[in-house]
Amino acid sequence: MHVCEDTDLGGDNRENCLGGTSAGANKLRVFSKQVHIVTINRSAFAFSWIFICWSVQVGFCQQQDQRALLNYENLTIDSAAQRVYYEQRLYRNPMIGLLELSQALAKPTTTEFVPLYQGVPIASYRLGDAWQTNLLSRNERKAIGRLIPAGPGHYKVDFRLHPDMVANFGYKTDPFQAKISLLLQTQLYLTRGLVLNLGVLFPITNNYDTQPMNIRPAPIYLNQFLALSGQDFLSGSVGFFYSNQYGVNLQYRRANLTKPWSFGLEASLTGDYYYPTKGIYYESMNRAMLLADVAYRISKRDITLKVSGGQYLYEDRGMRIDFIRQLYSVEVGVFAMKTTKGSTAGFNFAVPIPPGRIAQSKRARLRTTEEYRWEYSYNGGGNNVGIRYRVGNQLDALLRQYHSDYLRQQQP
Amino acid sequence: MIFALLSQKGWAQVNISGKPGLMNIPTARILSDGTFQIGYHYNPSHYDPRANDPNAGVSNNFIQSSSSVYYATLAILPRLEVTINIFHVNGDLPLRARGIGDRQFDVKYAVLTEREHRPSVAIIASAPFGIDNSLVTYAAVTTKNFTLSETFTAEVSAGFGSPYYFDRSDNGGNNFDIFSNYKLHNKNERPHPYLSGPFGGIAFRYKQKLGGMIEWDSQQLNLGAYAKLFDRWTMQAGVINFDQITFGTSYAVSLRKLPKRLRQKSDLEK
Repeated sequence: MHVCEDTDLGGDNRENCLGGTSAGANKLRVFSKQVHIVTINRSAFAFSWIFICWSVQVGFCQQQDQRALLNYENLTIDSAAQRVYYEQRLYRNPMIGLLELSQALAKPTTTEFVPLYQGVPIASYRLGDAWQTNLLSRNERKAIGRLIPAGPGHYKVDFRLHPDMVANFGYKTDPFQAKISLLLQTQLYLTRGLVLNLGVLFPITNNYDTQPMNIRPAPIYLNQFLALSGQDFLSGSVGFFYSNQYGVNLQYRRANLTKPWSFGLEASLTGDYYYPTKGIYYESMNRAMLLADVAYRISKRDITLKVSGGQYLYEDRGMRIDFIRQLYSVEVGVFAMKTTKGSTAGFNFAVPIPPGRIAQSKRARLRTTEEYRWEYSYNGGGNNVGIRYRVGNQLDALLRQYHSDYLRQQQP
Repeated sequence: MIFALLSQKGWAQVNISGKPGLMNIPTARILSDGTFQIGYHYNPSHYDPRANDPNAGVSNNFIQSSSSVYYATLAILPRLEVTINIFHVNGDLPLRARGIGDRQFDVKYAVLTEREHRPSVAIIASAPFGIDNSLVTYAAVTTKNFTLSETFTAEVSAGFGSPYYFDRSDNGGNNFDIFSNYKLHNKNERPHPYLSGPFGGIAFRYKQKLGGMIEWDSQQLNLGAYAKLFDRWTMQAGVINFDQITFGTSYAVSLRKLPKRLRQKSDLEK
């Protein structure tokens, strides 16, 4: 690349690669202006020099773009409709995926990008100054369903390293009680929207509870994600979740990704389970949780204010207020809640764990998790105020990541 | 020019409780939106800010100890910072006083931002949920920068810290409701109250990278210096009351950033 700069014709590397032939043509125009001051021989030499340099540069960038495309799965380019369908599981922030793909493909600005989640399209986005978000109607979704394949053949065998930590800081004789594990997880894409999550858990340390340090299964559950229309979403999970709860979890959310208001319902029936040194121990599935929430998004600052309430685990009824700020790849929140068991406040965050991609080929990939979530509550340990378990798929968190304003405001 | 300076100095010295400031005192300087900062601060033993009897009935012979403060601060909104810090007493402690340290949650709000002819003003308040918050802060502070030469600036701050604060110190074993049992206290009952009364200080900066500072932290006079490396990493040290050494370090990043390769507008979008 530095060779190009020596000739004063190189300019910015990325612009050249993206411009493709037009950048090349520009260069030739600039070149022709210089020809008259040099001899024929020298100009021929310079011409071939520039040509070699330009093609190396283009080749290099194409290679880079090809490599970037490897980050994407189930990529379909519908040139007639000027639409690109893709799924990316690497970045927590969908905007990174959108921008990287649009750079790599170098499509005209009228192209619409349709990110998929578990094979289900979320919405369509047009980048650039004329940013546009289109919700996909039920009929459009049907048409896309015929066009875009789903199922295991279109996805990588993706291995994800995911740390997990439960901690309690209050206990006097042992102030730092923690249960830290490393999960090696994968997802099997079965049909459209249906994914089997599974993995292995490697314990690192545990002075938090009496669970033995055996290598055991990580949460194993089936999740079906459905988009009923442009703004109605469903997610159902069955299996063994985080926080030692197994059972059924159903979520519904009405969220227009271009509007501030959204609301959701969540219902579940679960029971305790854990893995002793041998086999599995479980209790009956008789613990009901029923929650409803209303959320309002202040677009200017990417703030979500959410009021939720209902029955949490252990028949604890109450209300919770969340303030959530989305900051590019990171999400930070503070909350306060009051239930029949007591009241508490705290903070939470969701961050991607670096470095992200570790190694990948067309068929397989090893990476660190795109989302690590943690919540601290001021007196949570032992008091069980508004306790809930974690499912990997939480509709409100997923959908606010695809909100039009959140993505648009990140555009460079 | 002024605005360039204002935006640059977002990441610099951090005070003992994890907020932009000098050594012990906070200033009205506020981090730019989305800045996240973590760090450590060492406080020497002669100036232990704990209450005489931190947990009622724990121990009758209170031994002064040095302490380690770990903090994380996020500018969660353009004018609003939230800080969580852990105040950990170094050395062995009586059983009932043990822990990873007391957790304190603070908010700092910039009432006024600095302009050419106007100082910035900020208010700081600690959440009252704490049981033994040694660095509990209820303060108002104002700060103004002066350009001395092309490379030197002076940041002058003055403020007042309330000696009165709320906590839940009665609540040790009965921790179920954090919104009840608040009790009013006076910091001046402590041997070394933190930020109780008027305070102020001046920082002299060279190119926003190196600096010296002098502060009155409401109890004693402190001197210090700091250096900033790679625009993100700050190291600082000082002398408290011409007696004992304090030091700290912090690292700041902006969360409102795309990866470098995606930051430029592409050709097509221009």
